[in-house]
Amino acid sequence: MGERQQMRYAFYPGCVAKGGCPELYPAAIKVAEKLGIELFEMKDVGCTGAGVLSREVSDPINARTLAKAEAMGLPIMTICSTCQGCLMQANHRLVTDPEYRDRINREYLAEEGLEYRGTTDVKHFLWVLDEDYGLDKLQEMVVNPLEELNVAAFYGCYLRRPPEVVVPKGKESRKVSLENAIKALGGNVVATKGKGKCCGFPILYPNERNSLEMCGTHTLEAKDKGADAMVTPCPLCHLELDGTQSRAAQHKGKKIDLPVLHLPQLVGLALGFSPKEMEMQRHLVSTSPVEEKAKRKAGV
Amino acid sequence: MQVNLNVRRYDPVSNGDGSRQTYSVEVEEQSTVLDALIQVRDEQDATLSFRGSCRTGFCGDCTMRVNGKAKWACRMPVSKAQVDGEITLDPPRLVKEVKDLIYDQEEFLFDKYAATKPWIEPSPPGSAEEHIVSQEKIKELQEASSCTLCGMCDEGCTVLVIDKTFLGPAALTRAFKPVADPRDKVIERRLSELSEKRGMWDCVHCFEATEHCPKGIDPTDRILSLRDEAIKRGIGTPRVVRHNDSFAKSIKSSGWLDEARLAIESEGLTNIGGLMHLVPTAAKAMAHRKAPLPYLHKKRPGAKHIKRIFETWEKGSK
Repeated sequence: MGERQQMRYAFYPGCVAKGGCPELYPAAIKVAEKLGIELFEMKDVGCTGAGVLSREVSDPINARTLAKAEAMGLPIMTICSTCQGCLMQANHRLVTDPEYRDRINREYLAEEGLEYRGTTDVKHFLWVLDEDYGLDKLQEMVVNPLEELNVAAFYGCYLRRPPEVVVPKGKESRKVSLENAIKALGGNVVATKGKGKCCGFPILYPNERNSLEMCGTHTLEAKDKGADAMVTPCPLCHLELDGTQSRAAQHKGKKIDLPVLHLPQLVGLALGFSPKEMEMQRHLVSTSPVEEKAKRKAGV
Repeated sequence: MQVNLNVRRYDPVSNGDGSRQTYSVEVEEQSTVLDALIQVRDEQDATLSFRGSCRTGFCGDCTMRVNGKAKWACRMPVSKAQVDGEITLDPPRLVKEVKDLIYDQEEFLFDKYAATKPWIEPSPPGSAEEHIVSQEKIKELQEASSCTLCGMCDEGCTVLVIDKTFLGPAALTRAFKPVADPRDKVIERRLSELSEKRGMWDCVHCFEATEHCPKGIDPTDRILSLRDEAIKRGIGTPRVVRHNDSFAKSIKSSGWLDEARLAIESEGLTNIGGLMHLVPTAAKAMAHRKAPLPYLHKKRPGAKHIKRIFETWEKGSK
């Protein structure tokens, strides 16, 4: 491996990491600091739209975010599959269609003295670990290998699709990056069919029954295949898989009780942070089985 | 080359159990899976039933599962499909089987397609109004109409797997065309009908349909375009409209999402039953110090610019 690039990013934490999943933001900050990843938080930017706002208004908001990172001279790092997907899809439209970009610049950004030239790269923390930091180096940093932990990966749709935006040529490792990260942390991967499917969160309001069916199916599959926990790079998946799991269990008529960890929390445990430092007590599904297994290995 | 086709046989009259049958066949190096099936039917078993029309990767009639994954049999070379000389063939998932690899296209695709009323409804008959469509628009419409209803997107749909009543990406993709057509005069009625139960708001926009579409039509993008049109006009089920409005209000006023406010306003401020439904989860989340308090949401430093972007968009959409 050649010279490792400088680890500096314009950090876009997203709404949920500071709202419904307040444990994610501090976990990501602590882990990044430990790994020497320098984050410059973007505080004056807007929500990506999360697939709920019309793209006619979320594209200009995202163009503004991309322009601000461009002015900082840094790639963006996200910690949410949905933020990543929305920013990346907007970026794809703005980069591949210069006329469209010109119109957005003219009609929406010019008044603030901003212009997006189309050069900002947007990377999820998972891809930063895999592609920039290197999973080999991450493995070297592990002080508490999660050897007893069986972990099922759950990506979130927007880290998988649409393929021409998310997995361009040469980036095929993105399809297995989460499993590779689990392995680098010393954990055992539990393979599931549901790992790349929708968690159900986007239809929690319009169709709760279907949403709970999806949540129940994925968590039960992981549980039945022997997972001690599930790990996700998406806090919206977390709101669904952790937050609605007890309702999904009722809906399915089965007990589930599967702890769901944010990716930075899993990394944090392997780097020697305590479950409390990773704020795992905030989860709705108890994480104590994970804590037991992670602790035992560390000899705490 | 020699290959074994392991085919699901289904005959509702004589053999309803859906057993499998293996045909060993010698095919040319460049043969497709459809070529191999035709060869078996011609040379070994005239009762083997499957669909396959154009044989050139255009019509999408030969959608089937090849080794468990939906493919067009005419686009799948035997050499690529075979694993140790074996190929397993099944009808698509979620379908009502008719015979062998033939499935009920009416139920799977055509009934839902017809339900979207996919024909253009211009101004009333006898009107002298001229309908001019720009070249650019025609290009956009042509892309959408290159869908042949092959069913690949429905086969891969995450929602249809758990709810067969969902309209599905194939029908919704076709429904996009008249909505995008400037000659159509009933767009709002269409968007209201597509918003009804099991319509476009049940889509999880997971982009599975886009990944599965062999024509590159991007069905998920078409569904999102339908939704963008509906959002602009305030159309949806009451619950969806409340959710979309609350989401937009929150971003417009503060730059970012007030999640607790969204939960409350999506249920409806006067919907006591709905609000009570939130209580157990909200109480649990508060006990875990996980629930942000609604309406006590600080503005982001750049909020005034986000608000300006909204206002510019709203002005332009009118």
